[in-house]
Amino acid sequence: MVLLEHDAKVLALVLGLRVPPGVMAETTGSISADRLPPGPWIVKAQVPAGGRGKAGLIQPAATIEAVRSAVQTMLGATHRGHIVKGCRIEATVAGMREAYAALMIDPAAAAVRVMLSAQGGVDIESTHGVVSELVAPEAAAIADAVRRLTAKFSPSMCAAFADAFAALTRIMLECEATLVEVNPLFIGDNGSWIAGDLKLMIDENALVRRPVLAELVTARRFAYPEAALKLATGFDYVEVDAEGTIGLLTTGAGLSMMLIDELRAKGHRPFNFVDIRTGQFRGNPTRLIQVLSWIARGPKIKVVLVNVFAGITHLGEFARLFLEALEAVPDLQIPIVARLIGNGFDEARSIFANESDRVILEHDLDHAIEIVASYTVSKP
Amino acid sequence: MLDLILKERLPVVVQGITGRTGRAHAVAMRTYGTNVVAGVGREVGNVEGIPVFLDCAAAVAATGALASVVLVPPLNVRSAVLEAIDAGIRFVVCVTEGVPIHDSLAIVRRARETGTTWIGPSTAGMGIPGRMKLGFLPDVALRAGSLAVMSKSGTLAYELCWRLSERRVGQSIWVGVGGDPVKGTRFAELLPLFAKHDATKAVLVLGEIGGSEEEDLAAQITALRFQKPVHVLLAGGSAPEGVTMGHAGAMVDGNRGTLVSKTTALREAGATVYASMDALTVGVVKQMR
Repeated sequence: MVLLEHDAKVLALVLGLRVPPGVMAETTGSISADRLPPGPWIVKAQVPAGGRGKAGLIQPAATIEAVRSAVQTMLGATHRGHIVKGCRIEATVAGMREAYAALMIDPAAAAVRVMLSAQGGVDIESTHGVVSELVAPEAAAIADAVRRLTAKFSPSMCAAFADAFAALTRIMLECEATLVEVNPLFIGDNGSWIAGDLKLMIDENALVRRPVLAELVTARRFAYPEAALKLATGFDYVEVDAEGTIGLLTTGAGLSMMLIDELRAKGHRPFNFVDIRTGQFRGNPTRLIQVLSWIARGPKIKVVLVNVFAGITHLGEFARLFLEALEAVPDLQIPIVARLIGNGFDEARSIFANESDRVILEHDLDHAIEIVASYTVSKP
Repeated sequence: MLDLILKERLPVVVQGITGRTGRAHAVAMRTYGTNVVAGVGREVGNVEGIPVFLDCAAAVAATGALASVVLVPPLNVRSAVLEAIDAGIRFVVCVTEGVPIHDSLAIVRRARETGTTWIGPSTAGMGIPGRMKLGFLPDVALRAGSLAVMSKSGTLAYELCWRLSERRVGQSIWVGVGGDPVKGTRFAELLPLFAKHDATKAVLVLGEIGGSEEEDLAAQITALRFQKPVHVLLAGGSAPEGVTMGHAGAMVDGNRGTLVSKTTALREAGATVYASMDALTVGVVKQMR
């Protein structure tokens, strides 16, 4: 998962990364001179996606009024599918050259890629001028690589990179990060440095043993709804379209993703993604109740599509738990199309036989989608 | 790797056999035909007639196990796989989901140093239909045939292998590589095996957004001048950027990992990329029969 720049910088500061002083603003009302670092400022929309500069979501501001106005414009804007819920207001860095520094896990090489450049800027994705080396995920190996890669730089540049990378290495190892990228890395003539922007990708699987990160995700669950929910519940749920008409109750990440792709391709609007992991129910309907009640909150929901390919799970047990969950979510009064296949199908069919007015059981996925589609058409 | 897993009655140890999942799947694998000779668990004894040892070294010494299936909780995977490698096992399948990436990184590095094939983590497993399976692959979707399947997703592979099986197209080998970004065996590494595997007449690839595995596979198809037909389906085209969709590896980051990048690379390499499960099923059946 990608941390918002502000959260990443707050974390990284503790681990020795130098960052310009800054604060987060989630409303314009919270902006006042005594809360801000010394100006002039730069206002940066907080979304976990790139291309902010080009989208006008990073703006300089010389006065408090200009800061308020920039924040006002940015809050609520949508960028690459994410709504801006906050802005970081940061002191401007001036008079330093822009460079680039990053550590990234390279999955194919099973190594850490050390990347740096004496030039920074927003077009770094072209990797022009970036030099890199693959090394073991260890501090000494990374430091050696940085020394080799900066061998021809001036002594002050070498010192700045060495020092900055020491901080990046601590962040990567202590946060179990998969990417730590500083672009631009500002470097002064005297070898001083400060991180202009920071992109930090952390591993959701490591949250359970990284209490600082787990606390951050939990405390800021409005910024990280999916990760916070997974940490709390143990499964994945993503609302993909607030106006969606089809609630999905599905298991398996790949098949659930594919189902959303196919529904969209046919012009339908799925409301959510979920990988509920039926194999982890252990006789408990809690997850089903949670997902059904979230679906019930969708303002335009017309129908629920259940898709379970039971390789291991017993569909008889699933059907019983599902009915129990339906009882527990009385708000949900819409048709359910259940596409079930595999282990215990016959038992599931007899369990659902008494509920035929609410649950339509189907064996073929494409046919189930056709039935679902018939419920999403507005009737005159 | 292929020589080892094609071995008749390959002896297998199940690590984590005394856990709820371990016990259930050790039995399911044995019922399917897998030669489960040992388990590793919390106490010595036996589970459903399978002798249980306290560590891999003891299990290997007593039973000659050559392959392992790891069914332990995520934070225990690193020590379990390293233990198997230290015991001399050179083929390890890891179905556990939620393994921290830095742990996987350490395991992959050790596996490469020792020449160990590590499949997973976060995979439904692998199998040779009609003979054996290591992991969760559902029997209803397994059917002996000549299509080599490699998939990031368990459930998407279940769905398609089942649809194809219903149309009498079965699998020569089925390998779930798993949905994590850092993993033991990647698509591109399997291609040379499928090239020389006589029982394999075509390949089915079930990929996902995120990472560069599909692009690397495309490069491998070209580099090997791979001649067998390659059929591809890619999931996650409509996922928002920066959001993880169930699989830790399934995330678009800027221009990296997009559906367009993967589709273009694979098509240029000569693979057939389909837009839906139905289209893929029809296409594969038409080519195979």
